[in-house]
Amino acid sequence: MLLLFAAPLTVICFYSAMTRGPYGGFSLPWTLDSYGRLADSLYFAILLRSFWIAGVSTIFCLVLGFPLALFISRAGPRKNLYLTLVILPFWTSFLVRTYAWMFLLRDTGLINTVLQKTGLIHDPLPLLYNDGAVIVGLVYGFLPFTVLPLYAALERLDPNLLEAAADLGATPWHTLTRVVIPLCAPGIRAGTILVFIPCLGAYLTPDLLGGGKSVMVGNLVQNQFTSSRDWPFGAAISLTLMALVMLLLLLFMRGNSEEGLL
Amino acid sequence: MKRRALPVYAAAAFAFLYVPLIVLSAFSFNASKFTVWEGFSLQWYAAAFHDPQLAEATGNSLIIAVVATLLSTVIGTLCAYGLWKRKSPLLAGSLYLSLVTPEIVAGISLLAFFQWVFRFLHVRLGMHTVILAHISFSIAYVVIVVMARLRTVDPKLEEAALDLGANEWGAFWHVTLPAILPGVVAAALLAFTVSFDDYVITSLVAGVDSETLPMVIYAFARRGVNPVVNAISALIVFGLGVLILLSQRLQKT
Amino acid sequence: MNRRIFLLGLSGLAGCTRDRRPRLNVWNWSNYIAPETVPKFEAEYGVRVRYAVYESNEEMLARVMGGNSGWDIVFPTDYLVQPMLQQGLLAPLQHDLLPNLHNLASGFQRPAWDPAMQWSVPYMVTAAGIGYNRKLTPPPTAWEDLWNPRLRGRMTMLDDPFDVFAACLKRLGASINSADPAQLKQAQALAIRQKPMLRAYLNAEARDQLVSGDILAAHMWNTTAQQAIDASPDVAFVYPREGYATYPDCSVILRESRRTELAHKFVDFLLRPEIAAANALAARTTTTNEAARALFPPDFRDNATLYPGADIVARGEWAQTLSPDNQRLRDRLWTEIKAS
Repeated sequence: MLLLFAAPLTVICFYSAMTRGPYGGFSLPWTLDSYGRLADSLYFAILLRSFWIAGVSTIFCLVLGFPLALFISRAGPRKNLYLTLVILPFWTSFLVRTYAWMFLLRDTGLINTVLQKTGLIHDPLPLLYNDGAVIVGLVYGFLPFTVLPLYAALERLDPNLLEAAADLGATPWHTLTRVVIPLCAPGIRAGTILVFIPCLGAYLTPDLLGGGKSVMVGNLVQNQFTSSRDWPFGAAISLTLMALVMLLLLLFMRGNSEEGLL
Repeated sequence: MKRRALPVYAAAAFAFLYVPLIVLSAFSFNASKFTVWEGFSLQWYAAAFHDPQLAEATGNSLIIAVVATLLSTVIGTLCAYGLWKRKSPLLAGSLYLSLVTPEIVAGISLLAFFQWVFRFLHVRLGMHTVILAHISFSIAYVVIVVMARLRTVDPKLEEAALDLGANEWGAFWHVTLPAILPGVVAAALLAFTVSFDDYVITSLVAGVDSETLPMVIYAFARRGVNPVVNAISALIVFGLGVLILLSQRLQKT
Repeated sequence: MNRRIFLLGLSGLAGCTRDRRPRLNVWNWSNYIAPETVPKFEAEYGVRVRYAVYESNEEMLARVMGGNSGWDIVFPTDYLVQPMLQQGLLAPLQHDLLPNLHNLASGFQRPAWDPAMQWSVPYMVTAAGIGYNRKLTPPPTAWEDLWNPRLRGRMTMLDDPFDVFAACLKRLGASINSADPAQLKQAQALAIRQKPMLRAYLNAEARDQLVSGDILAAHMWNTTAQQAIDASPDVAFVYPREGYATYPDCSVILRESRRTELAHKFVDFLLRPEIAAANALAARTTTTNEAARALFPPDFRDNATLYPGADIVARGEWAQTLSPDNQRLRDRLWTEIKAS
C-alpha cells in the first residue's frame, strides 16, 4: 500500500508551501497581524452570510438529488446511461452555464419574457442579481455532487429489505424515512460535505449571479489574491475558514454512530 | 412506493439540468450575435471548427482529464480501501484538508509549490503541472464517493475470502472490488468532470502550451456575448451524448 | 511515476518533431492586437510566436511571479511596473535595440512610472468614463449624474475597487490616487449611498446590457464603450467633467526570458507606425504611438470616445502604484461597501 502514502504526502507538501502565505508571500516580514485583522464584526457577518447561503443550497441539493439518485439506482441496465446524462451538462464550461442562467433570469431574459407574454405578470420579476439567483446557480452547479454519492450508497440497497418492511406493515413514507434514508446515510453525509464546502468557497457564482452586490467568503478571498494583492491576508482568511470547517466536520462526524467519513 | 411519481420527478430533474443547455444550443444557431432571433445559421459552428486555439485546447483538456482521472481514481480507490481497513488520521486529515480548501487557495499553493520546486529541478509550468494539480484535488472526491459505497459492504465478506485461503490482494481484487465497482465508476465520472471543467486551479498552474478548454471558453465569454461559445457547449453536450448512447448500444449487443 | 516519465518523454519527442525556429512567447490582453501583426512578425524574422491572452493583471501576475512561467513578454498596467521591478521580474530594456521608440506620443516619452523607459514601453491606454443610452435627456456629463434617482435600477458601476473609488474621489474633487483616510471615507460614504440604486457591479457584461437596453448608464472603460457603440447607435460615451482615471498598459520583457534580443525586436515591431496603427484600428483602442495616429482614417482619428480633444485628455489622471497601507485601507472600505 505504498500508494496510500504517496497521495497524502503530495497533498501535505502542497500545504506546507501554503503556510508560508500568512507569514510572507507578497511582503517579507514574518508576522501574524493578518489574523489580527480578521477579528472584526465585518468579516464575521460575511462568514455568517456565506454559511447561510451554502447551507440553503446544500439542503436543496440533497432534497432535489435524492429522488433522482433513487430513480437511477432502480433503473436496471440503464443505470450508467442515466448517471452519465446527469454528469453530461457539467462537461460544458461552468462559466457558460452560469451565463445561460443569467440569460434565463434577466429582466429581458427568457423566463420573464414568457411570463409577460402569457400575461401572468405585468412587470418583469427581479430574478437576477440577488441571493435567490445565487442559490439557484449553486444548486445547479453542485447537483451531481449529491446525486453521485447518494446513488453509490442507494445502489447497494437490497429491495428485499423494502419488501420486508412493507410486509411488516410499514407505509411507503415510513419505509422511506425509517429504512432507506438511514441505510444511505453515508451517501447523504458525503453529499453534504461535497456541496457545502465548495459552496462556502464559491466566488464566481455569487459574483455573476449576485451582481457583485454582496460579498461571500469566496469573494473576499478572491479579492485578496487579485485586486488587493494581499496574499498573506487572503491566506489568513482561507486558513481560518478551513480551520472552522474542519471543526464543523469533526462535530458533524461525532454526532454519528459511525466513526467518521474517512 | 411512489411508483409513478419517481420517474416523473426524474424527468423534471433532467429537464432542470438541461434547460440552460437547450437554450444555449438554440442560440448557437442564431444568425445574430445578440439575443434577438434573426434566422438560422451555422456560422458559429464553422468558426468553432476553424479555430486552431480551440482544437488545441480541447485536445489538452481531454488528455489532462483522462490521465488525471485514471491516476486519481486508482489512487483514490486504494486510499479509500486502506482507510476502510485501517484508520489513519494522517491520511484522513490530509484528505479533509484537500476538500476544505477553496479552489483559489489550492491553486495558489500549488503554484507556490511548483515555483519552489523550480528552483531545484528547473521545471516549467506545463501539462505535467496541470495534471499533478488535477490529481491532487480529485483524490479527495474519489475517496469520498468510494467510501460511501464501501460503507455498505460487509467486511466479513473479505474475512471469509481470507479464511478460504486468498491473500490480501486476492481478497480485494475478487471480493471487494466487484462490490464497490459502481461506486468506483461513479467516482471516476466525478473525477473526470471535475478535471475537464476546472478553471481556477488550471489557469493558475498552466504553462505556455497547456491552455485548456475552460480557459479558452472563459476568455471568449468574458469578451461578451459570443455564440461560438454556445456552439462549443452544444457540440460538447450533443457530441458526447451521442457517443455515450452509442456505447450503450454496443454494450447491449 | 511511470506515467509521468512517459508523458515527459512524449512531450520531449513532440518537441523534437516540432519546427526548430526560435520561439517567442507573448502574453497580452485580449483584443489588443491586429490579427495580421503576429504572422507578419513571424514571416519577417523567420520565428514562431506563441501569442496568448489574459483578462486581468492579477491573472498574469500570479503566473509570472514565480519566474518560471515560460512567457517572454507581458503587458502590465502602469501601476504594476514598479512592484514587478521590485520583485525582480523585469529585464532591462536596451534602447539601441528599440529604434522606433521616438514614435511614441510626447506625453508618453517620459512616463511617470518609468521616466527613462528602462523597463517598460507604453502600448495602449484605457480610461474610465460613463457609457449611456442616447435616450437619456439631458445626457450625463459628470460623475455626479450617476447618483441621479432617475437612473435607479437602470445603472451599473464597474466591479473594481480602484475605479469605484476613482469615480467617487473625482466627484469630491480629490485625486484618484489619494491616500487620505478622510477623503477615502467620504468616497466610501458616496458609494454606499449609491449602492441601492445600482442594478449590479459589472465589468464587461455591462456592455451587453447597455446595448440591449436593460440599463441606461454604466460606469465603463472607453474601449468597452467603443465596442458597445459599434454594436448599437443608441450608445454614447462621455468623459466626466470632474476628471477620470487613465490606465496606460505597457510592454515589458520578463527577466526569465531566454530570448531577450528577439523580445526586443517584437517590442520594436509593435512601435512601428503602420503596425501600431493596424493594432489600434483592429482592436478599437487608444494607442500611445503618435506616428500611428497620423496613419488613421479621419473618422477613427477623430473618434471622440478613443481620441478625445486635448482639453479632455488634460482632465485624465494616471493611476499610480498605491502604498501597502493605502491599499489595505481601500480594501477594507471596499469590503464594507460590498457587504452593506
